[in-house]
Amino acid sequence: MREEHGIEAEGLVRTFKGDIRAVDGIDLTVAPGEIYGFLGPNGAGKSTTVHMLTTLLPPTSGTARVAGYDIVKEGPKVRSAIGAALQEAALDGLLTGREHIRLQTALHGLPRRERPARADELLSRVGLTQAADRKVNGYSGGMKRRLDLALALAHRPAILFLDEPTTGLDPQSRTALWQEVARLAKDDGVTVFLTTQYLEEADVLADRVGIIDHGRIVAEGTPAALKAEIGRPTVEAIPRDGADPAEVARILERFGEPTGASPKGIAVRLERGAQQLAEVVRALDSAGLEVEHLQLHAPSLDDVFLAKTGRSLEGAAEEAEEGQG
Amino acid sequence: MTGGHFWSVAWAVAWRVLHNVFTTPSLLLPGLVFPLFFFTAFAGGLSRVDNIPGFDFPPGYTAFQFVFVLLQSAAFGGVFTGFGVARDFEYGFARRLMLAAPRRSGIIAGYAIAALVRWAATAALLTVVAVLAGMNVGGGGVDVVALYGLALIVSLVGTLWATGVAMRLRTSQAGPVMQLPVFLALFFAPVYVPLDLLTGWLEAVASLNPVTHLLEAGRSLIAGSPADVGLAFLIAAGLAVALGVWALRGLRAAERAGA
Repeated sequence: MREEHGIEAEGLVRTFKGDIRAVDGIDLTVAPGEIYGFLGPNGAGKSTTVHMLTTLLPPTSGTARVAGYDIVKEGPKVRSAIGAALQEAALDGLLTGREHIRLQTALHGLPRRERPARADELLSRVGLTQAADRKVNGYSGGMKRRLDLALALAHRPAILFLDEPTTGLDPQSRTALWQEVARLAKDDGVTVFLTTQYLEEADVLADRVGIIDHGRIVAEGTPAALKAEIGRPTVEAIPRDGADPAEVARILERFGEPTGASPKGIAVRLERGAQQLAEVVRALDSAGLEVEHLQLHAPSLDDVFLAKTGRSLEGAAEEAEEGQG
Repeated sequence: MTGGHFWSVAWAVAWRVLHNVFTTPSLLLPGLVFPLFFFTAFAGGLSRVDNIPGFDFPPGYTAFQFVFVLLQSAAFGGVFTGFGVARDFEYGFARRLMLAAPRRSGIIAGYAIAALVRWAATAALLTVVAVLAGMNVGGGGVDVVALYGLALIVSLVGTLWATGVAMRLRTSQAGPVMQLPVFLALFFAPVYVPLDLLTGWLEAVASLNPVTHLLEAGRSLIAGSPADVGLAFLIAAGLAVALGVWALRGLRAAERAGA
């Protein structure tokens, strides 16, 4: 299933009425078999980008090739090569899960004799075998998401687009979906373009992450590289009652420069990274200083977002909601 | 990317529409009941029209009205299909079709196939009821086949018109826009009496209305005295081609809008 081509976009722009630039010049490359996390707050332009790459929406300018095909000139070939599960699972409440798969495989021209076995395989893979012959009207949100994923895989696509696939899912379903996505990339060589507003999701799943804000990619790289780019981890200690905070601070400052901490805490940015944590513990112990709480804080993708945009991802989401409201 | 993709898309879309229509009474019954209601109301309630001086239609008023209701059910069957297309866009299912269909023009073909099959069921029921009601058929087998063939093209015309509207407006509120022109075109034709018996502005409008030619040709076929049938088929085929372009352009409009 592994394709020679992944996704390449150059100067992709989409404007809407009122000269709103939802996507404002995106360049990106996703290698075959890679999981690419597209991280950003609501309204950042993630879904518009996916809609363009999946040929649902023509770009205003710029070019993109998906699976080696131009998204404007070779739409039918692009659609044959991709599967997509978009934010709102477009399902027909009057059809059963199995009938949906029958429809999807028929749309893609899968030979009739292969369809029943493919339906069984997909329903089993997403854990919907028991509910396969129930009308989708009676499915929970999580079941609909799982069916949508199965439909996206119906014709064994080389490239899979998942637009916020775990939004609204309970933690168990979320973990199951992550495992399935990771398996698809690892075992089947499927290229995955995953949009998300969840830091953890991008961190756990993505080989590389693109951070999008106001329609532009503000940072791109592996999660580790992005986090390393913005700095070293910090260690924060909250002294136990009776321990001298000034003495705790003096010990900690041997390992790095002081940095912002919680009201009762003392924090330093570790000069040589997380490996110094054990030394910090030994130094505090040797000095007979007891601490109530000791935490190593590694930079997160939210810190990357903060460093690149000046605000946290959560704050940006709230801002977007206010803008929409 | 071949014609195979076109047909696989078309059959898949048609299968889904027909599955839903034939398993959901609220979708099936209006298309069946309305033509029967019109037929019994017009043919039964207006049967004395037969006696009006100048009304000369040998098979009788039941057959006269049957042709109108057959064509009306064909056209409105297409409009009902358009309602479904608009619903699919409004509730997002069309996005699945647009995303999954390698050849999107197959989507229009699928809706059209479904509309024709759905109308065929209506026509069969209507024919049975008309025969049971004592309808006389003067035409032979070829005439009858030609009549149903003409109605089939009218159904296609109605479907393509309504699909084009649905794909441009993409909301169920587009219903009246689909319905009204079809309603006006049908009812500004000689519905209750032959064209010769119409007078004034109605006669003038009916003479210019292309539906009049379809209706009169259909009635001539059931009477067994075909007249202007070639012209009627030409008009119907011309409308089908023009509205096929209309529907395809509607599809392109939906694509541009990112539906």
